[in-house]
Amino acid sequence: MVETSAETIAADAGEEISEVGEIPQSKLIWMRFSRNKLALIGGVGLIIMYIIVGLGPFIASNYYRHQNQDYLFGPPTPLTFIGPDGRLGLQPYTFEFSTRLDPESFKFVFDIDRDTRVPLELFVRGDPYSMLGFIESDIHLLGIEGEQRFYPLGTDALGRDVFARLLIGGQVSLTVGLVGVALTIILGSVMGTISGYFGGLVDDVMQRVIELILSFPTVPLWAALAAALPPISRDFTAVHRFFLITVILSLVNWTGLARQLRGKVMGYAESDFVMAALASGASDARIIFVHMMPNASSHIIVVAALAIPGMILGETALSFLGLGILPPAVSWGSMLTQAQAVPVVVEHPWLMTPGIAVVLAVLFYSFLGDALRDAADPYSI
Amino acid sequence: MISYIIRRLGYMLITLVFVTIVGFFIIELPPGSYLEFHIQSLRQQGGDVTPDQIQALERRYGLGDPVHIRFYKWISGFPRGDFGQSFQHQRPVGELIWSRLGYTLLISVATLIVSWGIAILVGVYSATHRYTIPDYLITVLQFIGLAIPNFLLALVLMIFLQQTFGMRVGVLFSREFRDAPFSIAKMIDLLSNIWVPIVILGVAGTAWTSRVMRANLLDVLNMQYVQTARAKGIHERKVIWKHAVRNALHPLVMTLGMALPGIISGEVVVSTVLNLPTSGPLFFQALIQQDMYLAGTFLVFFAVALLVGNLLADIMLAGLDPRIQYR
Amino acid sequence: MSDQVGVKEAGADQQVEQPSPQSNIVELRNLHTYFFTDLGVARALNGVTYDIPREKVLGIVGESGCGKSVTALSIMNLIQPPGRIVKGEVMLHRRDADGATTDVRLTDLNRHSIQMRRIRGNEIAMIFQEPMTSLNPVYTIGDQISEAFMLHQGVDREEARRRSINILDRVGMPYADTVVDQYPHQLSGGMRQRAMIAMGLSCAPSLLIADEPTTALDVTTEAQILDVMRGLQSDIGMSIMFITHDLGVIAQMADEVVVMYLGRVAEQAPVDSIFYDPLHPYTRALLRSIPRVGRGTKERLKPIRGVVPNPYSNITGCPFHPRCDEFMADVCDVNVPGITMTDDGRAVRCFLYSDRVEKNG
Repeated sequence: MVETSAETIAADAGEEISEVGEIPQSKLIWMRFSRNKLALIGGVGLIIMYIIVGLGPFIASNYYRHQNQDYLFGPPTPLTFIGPDGRLGLQPYTFEFSTRLDPESFKFVFDIDRDTRVPLELFVRGDPYSMLGFIESDIHLLGIEGEQRFYPLGTDALGRDVFARLLIGGQVSLTVGLVGVALTIILGSVMGTISGYFGGLVDDVMQRVIELILSFPTVPLWAALAAALPPISRDFTAVHRFFLITVILSLVNWTGLARQLRGKVMGYAESDFVMAALASGASDARIIFVHMMPNASSHIIVVAALAIPGMILGETALSFLGLGILPPAVSWGSMLTQAQAVPVVVEHPWLMTPGIAVVLAVLFYSFLGDALRDAADPYSI
Repeated sequence: MISYIIRRLGYMLITLVFVTIVGFFIIELPPGSYLEFHIQSLRQQGGDVTPDQIQALERRYGLGDPVHIRFYKWISGFPRGDFGQSFQHQRPVGELIWSRLGYTLLISVATLIVSWGIAILVGVYSATHRYTIPDYLITVLQFIGLAIPNFLLALVLMIFLQQTFGMRVGVLFSREFRDAPFSIAKMIDLLSNIWVPIVILGVAGTAWTSRVMRANLLDVLNMQYVQTARAKGIHERKVIWKHAVRNALHPLVMTLGMALPGIISGEVVVSTVLNLPTSGPLFFQALIQQDMYLAGTFLVFFAVALLVGNLLADIMLAGLDPRIQYR
Repeated sequence: MSDQVGVKEAGADQQVEQPSPQSNIVELRNLHTYFFTDLGVARALNGVTYDIPREKVLGIVGESGCGKSVTALSIMNLIQPPGRIVKGEVMLHRRDADGATTDVRLTDLNRHSIQMRRIRGNEIAMIFQEPMTSLNPVYTIGDQISEAFMLHQGVDREEARRRSINILDRVGMPYADTVVDQYPHQLSGGMRQRAMIAMGLSCAPSLLIADEPTTALDVTTEAQILDVMRGLQSDIGMSIMFITHDLGVIAQMADEVVVMYLGRVAEQAPVDSIFYDPLHPYTRALLRSIPRVGRGTKERLKPIRGVVPNPYSNITGCPFHPRCDEFMADVCDVNVPGITMTDDGRAVRCFLYSDRVEKNG
């Protein structure tokens, strides 16, 4: 279907488009991709997100596990650019505040003293942290000297900095997609190539296995498998759990890639360049890795890019339901578990911010994946 | 045609056997059995559990038997409607799941119909108005619709409806109708509640289906036979609807097999957030509590729903496309 | 609505160079069709001018990508966005029952307008290259042919079906009354092309545009189809515009020939002149590149050197000059040659024959 429509589009344009013999395919792909504005937005947005998340411990003003017992469900720290002298400037200030328990509602009340300004400063010493595995420091990008703390997105039920947790949770949520897709590519291309290249019984068994996996709805299957993971202990750390969750996510996802690659490989097996290689005595491995894989590579990249949003959404849903990433680890989905009850969200809307982060990440990845697909193969769905 | 359906049913039965094996595998998967969970909670409540009692419990649940006997015991109950015992609810699984599965299916099928209806119209519009502002707008909405996790949408809509209209979300029937016998009024009450999960579930489905429809139709519009129809002097509207859309529909029907798992997945998650009396809350609760016969049975029935859905899609496809032979 | 029909009195502006409208059914004048793609503007047609003679077969030859099909679609006003006719005109000289001619400027009509749709399939019909893909797979042959009858002749379903069987019979379709209820995938390539021709001829058009109708068929089927077309052409008394890149088919079918290169007409001449006395260097090169019976065995086939440039490139001067054997420096690469009419009524665009320069090239 793809081939015929490509032909007819070319015929429609009076065979002109198909005759651009002097522009190489790779250049055409790049031309189409780089002209796509959405791809630019997606790419730049993702780079910024990964940088911020990677430098999270430094950018956040507090350690993500620090619990401020005096500031439970605390709202975002108010900011002003009007200094103590009443002039507007570039220096941000916040106000001194005190906490007291309201005797009637038994809730904490935060009294803000609008007259006493506290300056917000750059490179302030605060909670110690380690970043990217090798940087040990206690200097934070923004903060307040002294006892008071800076919470740009408020705190959660345990008095933890939502912004700090958003950045650390982002490390998990944004990695799940990448690791999961890497696993998907490995599993999918190995299985798909074997199935398509060798055919026969191997192919039959593989196809039945794929059909069996596809006959379960994804989220319930993921959830059932995730529920079987042991609880977090010394032997089974949060990292183990994280890795196994991504394995579970890619366990379903590889089937799609495998099926498409199987089709591609079967097509290549009939093609002249494979016949020529066979005739000159090339081994199976050589044909697969030297002749077929490079041809399928653009296809694999596109499928991979389009699979990442699904992975991120899958992790988020599982963690939200309490079956994915579990405390003490944190991800965007697990942060949102706190926002399950309507009254809580209505009173503390900042708890929904991880949702915005998820939507943005998924959007950026879809922009990118879509642009890649359009560029590599403008005629397919 | 009939022999084709019978043969397809045969294949389905074989797949079903494997599905139950997978279901049982998942039941057996958790490291601790529900029994240990149960004994632990009994001990915590202060009661002492003697080894005799444990043995009695083990015998009752057949935990001493080897794996294949347990599997046989489980699967042989199926024709009688016996799917094992829910430890947590102390009731047979069969009693717990039927009405909940029914509502899950009702919501899923309704979502499918509504979202397809809208998606086809939207897809045709944006394919025939390519490179116009409404098309760009639709594309943006499609991206956003696909990017919002459905549970988040459920939360936001729930808050919105409660805050602005004071509507109670999270029920299928108002209190006065919950136990009432079937009536027109009860149906209307159901409709006034069920649209919330349908809208939430439909957003992603509509976004996805309309994108597929747009791409299919653009593909078909480049086909020679569309040009042939135009060359005959047929009105453009008829060219689109009679010659193009009909052909663009069947890749869509082929994706039905892929759309249904997505909708059931979504229903399970969304109904958990909304706490609807459908499969979702019970299923996840069972998983978290390791009430595995309940969870495993749900999983098997989800798979059955998908298999039946695929069969229906194939039959529909055969009706839509004369090239398909009932081999 | 801007659907205006440009009506002119017949023979109002007869000039020496323009043959009378009486003898031509369609005239193309300086037609420019561009495709505004993401990658730039593809100039598919760059000023195409030629005439389609009445009740004769005009062959259009040229390499892939020279604009043969785009010309056909431009005549039908079927160029789809992002393509557009940017300049030039297509004139249809409609001959009424009483012998008088009305002129319709097709390029002035909206492509969705009722006037244009009444012409399509009725006065000008078109059949396409790929019989495999040019029939709608989900409707029967009868349904698809009947559509044209019901649309243009206002007959009911039953009568349309009867006429469909009749026309299928006329194009030599075996078992026409069975085929009428069959789906395209049940027919062979040759049968499908017959069905396409039947569809094209259903309303007895005055011009049939055949876009490489036999390219996808094997040689015996091709011969049969060409036979059917030739026969029906003289029966109905219609014109055929026959697009092909096969010079053998041209020799067999055409009365007159247009040679196209890169969106322009290189040469238009009667078929014998093209084969025995080609004027344009491109035509000569084209003829040298195909084998011919009776030519000395010592003579080697000579391919045209180079490749067709991509349509996004902007070549100055004559588009053929980079590949031309007769290339004259500082002449051919500077200006686009204009059309030269020879004494025997042939048209050629080459500086070998005159210094005429294309004004708006």
